[in-house]
Amino acid sequence: MTLTVALPSKGRMKDDAIAVFARAGLTVMAIGNDRSYRGRIEGIDGVEVAFLSASEIARELGAGAVDFGVTGEDLVREGLSRADERVEISARLGFGNADVVVAVPDIWKDVDSMADLGDVAADFRTRHGRRLTIATKYWRLTQNFFSTRHGIQLYRIVESLGATEGAPASGAADIIVDITSTGSTLTANHLRVLSDGVILRSEACLVRARKPEHDADPRVASLIDAVQSAS
Amino acid sequence: MLRKSDVEALSILCPSFPSPPPPREGEGLKLLRPSPLLLWVRLVTALFPRLELGRTSPSPLWGGGWGGAFVIGQARGGDFSSRTREGLVMQFGAPDFAADLARALDALGGVRVDIPVIQPAEPFLDMAGEDLRRRIFLTESETGESLCLRPEFTIPVCTAHIAENVGTPRRYGYLGQVFRQRRDGANEFFQAGVEDLGEPDEAAADARALSDARGLIAGFAPAADLSIILGDQAVFEAVVAGLGLPAGWQKRLIHAFGNEQALGAMIAKLASPEAAAVPDASVAGFLANGDVAGLEAHIEEVMQETGYSTNASRSPAEIAARLISKQTLDSTRLSARSLAALKAFLALDIPLDRAATALSEFARDAGLNISVAQQAFEARLAALKQRGEDLGSIRWRAAFGRPLDYYTGMVFEISASAENLVLAGGGRYDRMMTLLGAQEPIPAVGFSLWLDRIETVRAGR
Repeated sequence: MTLTVALPSKGRMKDDAIAVFARAGLTVMAIGNDRSYRGRIEGIDGVEVAFLSASEIARELGAGAVDFGVTGEDLVREGLSRADERVEISARLGFGNADVVVAVPDIWKDVDSMADLGDVAADFRTRHGRRLTIATKYWRLTQNFFSTRHGIQLYRIVESLGATEGAPASGAADIIVDITSTGSTLTANHLRVLSDGVILRSEACLVRARKPEHDADPRVASLIDAVQSAS
Repeated sequence: MLRKSDVEALSILCPSFPSPPPPREGEGLKLLRPSPLLLWVRLVTALFPRLELGRTSPSPLWGGGWGGAFVIGQARGGDFSSRTREGLVMQFGAPDFAADLARALDALGGVRVDIPVIQPAEPFLDMAGEDLRRRIFLTESETGESLCLRPEFTIPVCTAHIAENVGTPRRYGYLGQVFRQRRDGANEFFQAGVEDLGEPDEAAADARALSDARGLIAGFAPAADLSIILGDQAVFEAVVAGLGLPAGWQKRLIHAFGNEQALGAMIAKLASPEAAAVPDASVAGFLANGDVAGLEAHIEEVMQETGYSTNASRSPAEIAARLISKQTLDSTRLSARSLAALKAFLALDIPLDRAATALSEFARDAGLNISVAQQAFEARLAALKQRGEDLGSIRWRAAFGRPLDYYTGMVFEISASAENLVLAGGGRYDRMMTLLGAQEPIPAVGFSLWLDRIETVRAGR
């Protein structure tokens, strides 16, 4: 049986993933030319590398179409329902660090915490004739964090696929849930992360699709060991 | 969905089935629409003019007029009919008692409404919150409007009532399929229920809703051992108001009512408040001096400088006002006595026949004046008694509520004890009609029956 490892197909994520694998003694070779989206690992038979986009990797892991994948934890948790039942985070790789956070306009000086935001959300309809709106592309993470963790139900999500930090100033939404690494874009747009507003501290991870046949496969354990020791 | 035209179809099939009275001019919702069933029945009766239709014995409860065991409801997969020894039996998705239940609902005096299966999703998401999104079936129209498969009936019944602009009080009944993503159980199942809109005598309307729900279940699942619990948000609100908490805290607690975990966390915080967050340096001066006007002006100035509109979202005045009240919110500590009272109240869980005494004893011991809520509570008890309900078999659980902002008073749940299945849920939702756009407040109470669960309980008898 061939094991398939999905790696990011471009950019820093691709380079960093290949570097971690190289440190683990796993040299990733593209098949054919450098731009090919198929690869293999030097000296190991029966392991295939597929170069995919990072969000596709999460989906393919969830479907069990690939055995391993390197992708951001945010994409795994956003893309898959009941992620922990379907995949396992085998190693945290120490790059691609970014936090998914709840940020409000900095001028909301009365809102420091999620409890404050809960108060504002509860009153919003009465004051403004509509629910509090959140601009985000993280539907699932937002719903889990607001509803399950903080008991806040009364808000609406406005889908935002880019330049989310601009939504509050433009009036497209009241607050945002977005990913940030240095926080500089948030600051530049006069937004502030709530004191308990970090939903997820994400980084690139080696993720394994939970498949029963992995238990008896020595290649699975040794690949995990190698990557863990290199990360 | 049982359409009026389906009923018409049945009356062709089975002449003793009474035809519905024609709707009066300008009254009620649009009820008539040719249904596939009606067209099909017309075809069948044309082809087989002498078709003999079988009858089974009338059901013990709703016997009298029509007792035929026809299954009516929405057609599934075109599997319309099969012949049996008794004659023609229609097979649809509805439970076999749906036709009888529909008649029983009519007998309760409701106007039966026809709610389209495809609904705009906005009102549901707006009312119940974004969390509902993953529990309903969503789709989009070509123009980008969010649509969903009807996840429940109350909101569309209310919206239809507002759109038709008919007078109140008015009682609506419904029976049909609803669609929800569930981890356990089918994603499409039948619900039936009643909504009473605009009945000014709230105690009587509350009692009628609970009593009708219990009566229907007792009729259709007679062997079930029922447990009924009742809660009352208005009493909780009165207790919270009586404790003398700042308005912000009252709102928080009321908002969390029915969510045990959230409420517990808040009470813990009231018992031992954390150190208040230090106000931001840019506003600390205004707060220290109590300079409200200066604070507002400062916020407005910053918003303009940073390109934030002062009217698209929260206004400077709103932020300033909450900033000031927050200073007291964060440091509010509930006295040991008040805390004990709140906990004692939430722990009340007793049969309804002893509830009035228990509530007045609680109020006396806690030194709270909650007489207005108490009177309404007792009026409801009296109305239930008057309807012949056995108060000893209903439990009042003081902490029982639904954490949605349109519920205002009584809530109840009727379960089959042995199977541990909720068969009916109901409650008062006085705030919903205005949230949905009614020009003036319309009191509202209703209940919904879970037909699939009632069927399970019936099968086990």
